[in-house]
Amino acid sequence: MTLPDLFNETATDSEKAWLTSKQQAPIPARLAAFVAVPRFVSRRPVPHNPDWTMDRLARVLLLTSLPADDETAYTKAIETLFDTAEMQELAALYSALPHLAFPQKWLFRATEAVRSNMGPVFDAIAFGNTYPAQYFTEAAWNQLVLKCIFNDKPITRIHGLMDRANATLAHDISEFAHERWAAGRTVPAEVWQLVPRFMNESLLADVKRLAASPDERDREAARRVIEQMSSRFNVAPSDTGEATLNIRR
Amino acid sequence: MNPSHAQDEHEVPAQPVAETPVDYMAHIKGMSFFDPHIHMTSRTTDDYQAMADAGIVALIEPAFWLGQPRTGLATFKDYYASLVGWERFRSSQFGIKHYCTIGLNSREANNEALAEEVMELLPLFAYKEGVVGIGEIGFDDQTTAEEKFYRAQLELAKEAHLPVQIHTPHRNKKEGTERSMAIALEHGLDPGMVIVDHNNEETVKSVLDGGFWAAFTIYPFTKMGNERMVEVVRQYGPERIMVNSAADWGISDPLAVPKTAALMVMRGISPEAIRLVTYQNAIDAFAQSGQINVADFATPMVIDQSEKFNGNTILRGGQQPRRDQQSLFIK
Repeated sequence: MTLPDLFNETATDSEKAWLTSKQQAPIPARLAAFVAVPRFVSRRPVPHNPDWTMDRLARVLLLTSLPADDETAYTKAIETLFDTAEMQELAALYSALPHLAFPQKWLFRATEAVRSNMGPVFDAIAFGNTYPAQYFTEAAWNQLVLKCIFNDKPITRIHGLMDRANATLAHDISEFAHERWAAGRTVPAEVWQLVPRFMNESLLADVKRLAASPDERDREAARRVIEQMSSRFNVAPSDTGEATLNIRR
Repeated sequence: MNPSHAQDEHEVPAQPVAETPVDYMAHIKGMSFFDPHIHMTSRTTDDYQAMADAGIVALIEPAFWLGQPRTGLATFKDYYASLVGWERFRSSQFGIKHYCTIGLNSREANNEALAEEVMELLPLFAYKEGVVGIGEIGFDDQTTAEEKFYRAQLELAKEAHLPVQIHTPHRNKKEGTERSMAIALEHGLDPGMVIVDHNNEETVKSVLDGGFWAAFTIYPFTKMGNERMVEVVRQYGPERIMVNSAADWGISDPLAVPKTAALMVMRGISPEAIRLVTYQNAIDAFAQSGQINVADFATPMVIDQSEKFNGNTILRGGQQPRRDQQSLFIK
């Protein structure tokens, strides 16, 4: 479903009328409307889309209504909104990134959201957003995933997670796990799905440790890693598991 | 303190007389408080935890002077953005709803060239969600520059249909208060949209008689003490009176509102009067902005749907992990 359809399906008549009039208003009025959205569109969840609320959706629709024929003016308008944004506005701006013109222009901004300590702002770039998978450098991507893990947020909600898995990230995850283990803390089991394709001796040692963990979730993670490796090398899981890793089941 | 709630040097008080500790929290158990003036930017996470524990459910952070003058427009912009951004989020982590008022404080109004630039910036923030007024503005030194930008900001408040939070000066307070009110009326403001702050026994009658809201700052050594506050409420009643802490980077008390409520309980002020001056009146005054939704903080542990998140509770209000302050071990 397109974004306008998503909005129209749930919005009240007055909300729809307000948004339509503002999408056709002069540019400064559209930018002012972006700020004023919560006065006219109530904050309630967008159906079947846990990350978005109706006010955020309305804001994104206002942004997509901006004409992109003049790159300088377009960029300036978006930058001004970023510079003066409150928390929900920031979340809306980051949610809108995949839908904006000149996508490369927003790369630095997008990494700023990864640096943010404001939960809703970080979440807006991290979860259900196609921008990072499409435009982030490997370093920026890895920082996004690692920060997610560090803050105990669910990496499974990152768009393109498996496609952008890489050897450096697998190494970094291992290093991070070692630090956590040294501190007597734990690592969410789901992070290990990012390592099988880059298996080496050091990672193998981690998988063995997981397989011997008292936590069932760790043992399950180890089993899954082995399954994925097995399918790659076309070896029966039991062979790999018993012979190579000597896993106690 | 905007510009400075702290004492001048000659005002340093005598050592306080030792008192028997009172378990004041027992007197306010289950009560909710709204502190309509507190500068959380200058406070610690310990303060947020203590405030939540004492029953503070919502607060207003007025834009103020940070202790030294800003030298450029960008630092003003970043400060205003932090009031609607980072500080708002930080507060939410402790389960406290954070509102703010936006304005150019009187002390920095004296840098006229910079103040002109700030005035152009203010409308970008005045219409933000959760901005409940223009403040704190008014007089410090009562210079012509202060008056110029006070008047300009009254016009902005009128234009934006926002309440005004007036800081009244430390020196020549009575005259400064009268002058602030007269100018507000001259600009056509409804006194019901104006909260006159930092009142004392000398100013309260005129403020109330004029139809304005009278806010009292319970701030050690330089402003009101809470024992005096009890007597003000006894004498004038609770109507259009509200109590705040104005806690900031000076020696101040972020629990001033709950402590004053406890003292009122102990000294026989009626529960309804206490509720009005430590909670409801502030809401009534600032909700005229259209930016306060009582449901956001009236029920315990309200979860903001927009910050909620499937399978993950990290971002819910009030879920900042607790640390045991008494423990020697830091884990």
